[in-house]
Amino acid sequence: MSGHPLPYGRPNMPAAPAAYRGETYYGRAAVKHSPWDWRIGAYMFAAGMAGGSQILAALGEASKDRRWDGMVRNARTVAVVNATVGGLLLISDLKTPNRWYNMLRIFRPTSPMSMGSFVLTGFGTLSAATLAGHALGWRRAARAAQVPAALAGVGMTTYTGALLAATSTPAWSASPRLLGARTASAGMASAAAALALGERAGGRGGTGQTLDRLALLATGLDLALSLTADASKNRAGVEAPRGGERMRRLSAYALAHALPLGLYALNAGVRRPSPGVSVAAALSVLVGQALMRGHLLQSGQRSATRPGDYFRLTQPSRGVQRIGGAGDA
Amino acid sequence: MTSVHPRALDFPQPFLDGVIPDEAELTAGERVEAGKSYGFFTDTTLCIGCKACEVACKEWNNLPADKDRMTGDSYDNTGALSAHTWRHVAFIERIGRRGGDSTTMPPYQSNWLMMSDVCKHCHNAPCLEACPTGAIFRTEFDTVVVQTDICNGCGYCVPACPFGVVEVSDQDGKAHKCTLCYDRLKGGLEPACAKACPTDSIQFGELSGLVTRAQTRVFELHAQGQPAAYLYGAPETPGATGGLDWLNCFFLLTERPEVYNLPAAPSRAANRVRPALAAGLATAGLLTLAAAALMRGGRA
Repeated sequence: MSGHPLPYGRPNMPAAPAAYRGETYYGRAAVKHSPWDWRIGAYMFAAGMAGGSQILAALGEASKDRRWDGMVRNARTVAVVNATVGGLLLISDLKTPNRWYNMLRIFRPTSPMSMGSFVLTGFGTLSAATLAGHALGWRRAARAAQVPAALAGVGMTTYTGALLAATSTPAWSASPRLLGARTASAGMASAAAALALGERAGGRGGTGQTLDRLALLATGLDLALSLTADASKNRAGVEAPRGGERMRRLSAYALAHALPLGLYALNAGVRRPSPGVSVAAALSVLVGQALMRGHLLQSGQRSATRPGDYFRLTQPSRGVQRIGGAGDA
Repeated sequence: MTSVHPRALDFPQPFLDGVIPDEAELTAGERVEAGKSYGFFTDTTLCIGCKACEVACKEWNNLPADKDRMTGDSYDNTGALSAHTWRHVAFIERIGRRGGDSTTMPPYQSNWLMMSDVCKHCHNAPCLEACPTGAIFRTEFDTVVVQTDICNGCGYCVPACPFGVVEVSDQDGKAHKCTLCYDRLKGGLEPACAKACPTDSIQFGELSGLVTRAQTRVFELHAQGQPAAYLYGAPETPGATGGLDWLNCFFLLTERPEVYNLPAAPSRAANRVRPALAAGLATAGLLTLAAAALMRGGRA
């Protein structure tokens, strides 16, 4: 899908003009930004954490190691609570919320929001089954629902990135692969951090430490992906955030990545890791990742109001245009 | 009896008072039939900026007024297409550009660009592909329409559109955009904007005939000494890029697309679903494997 070049220079076409020199129509936006507010950012945070939790619950269940029982129960609770609250957030952000059920009227494979409606519905139902099985002592029922719930969980940690990427909003569409990847790493980091908090609260230091290591790994990967994604966006023509937006991004990076990486490293370097440091790191990851979802949403909305960003990205054989061909980061 | 159009006399018992069956035959030379593709060819070299299209559209579709204010951007006080504005005339003054100033104006009217913008009714429409409720559908006239009784105002079509056309109305909480006068087409009438256009800058018709007409017009303009004329959105032209294939409503332009607030090479938003999902799933899979290894190690 290389796209058609501008006609300039073809027979009967005007002589080759200079490259795009920043022409806009009175600086007016060329595309419209989504009508979504903070609730969508909050949902993306909740969905990633819920999905990651069910993946970890399935692994805990499969390990047949009773030390993970507490984590499995917490993970199922997180999944149910986040899916419920998340669903309500989504419905309340609709501009005609009393028709929310039309989301399940059709399935459209070209629409990540349609996919996501079914993923969320399936995930919520399966998660409720795992938790109910756990609470009522039907371990077999809980186990039967666990693997499908975890598979739906993979969808939950992934689809919100595809949802943002499949738009004409410059900051979201500039590097779809990196946005998809960083959404998954953020979800796993949040899940590991949230469940590690539960292990510390339950006095299970051993499993808590394992989850700390996972949170460290996911956070490290998320940092690398996020920095690459931001650089790639800028190269493609999206303006770097300025002013308050830049400050919000910096604080999100500080809390989601810098501070927890430091704290986890501190704990890894000593013989007796401090539970307090671990708890601080986990809280920092959670607050930071929530801020990062908010920043992603907001910086996307802003980029849609800047026509230059969109026009740079939609030059023939550049930016968004490359998707489906070679060269996308 | 007052004056009656001769065609009306062929139908002594009209199904509606004052409506002539297949009226589009008289006004646009086209009989509107289900199963054919219809669109607009907007020839910007003929636009005089009268905004009759904007008015006709507002009147026929009963659209509420948008903000009432002066923008200071030439004669464009409409600003942009919106949930309540489905035709928008852009005004571009080229006075003082290219190193000159307002005292060195090129002769005649060659320093004015006017363009009536509208929903492009894309062949592969990103708004339709994004709509999770099925509220946005393709009609029997190959146009793209929002069914407001299905729409729940999720707003995903809004950032999906590569041209910034569709918008959710704050008045009823549903997405709205040009319907290419779906109701008029059903009644055999030409869309209101095209019928109202006094210079035929907006031409309505069946797509293949319209493209041929537009190509002829480009060659005509080149022969008349306007070598910058080109089509935007017709098959194999700029605007018909990135998997959109072509736009049922296409344009004849004489400047870079960006000057008219159009992207040079727009693309289908749905192109980006697969790469984003694949990368996300790969990352989630990798971290799941890492988690499994860590949890097994933790047991030892």
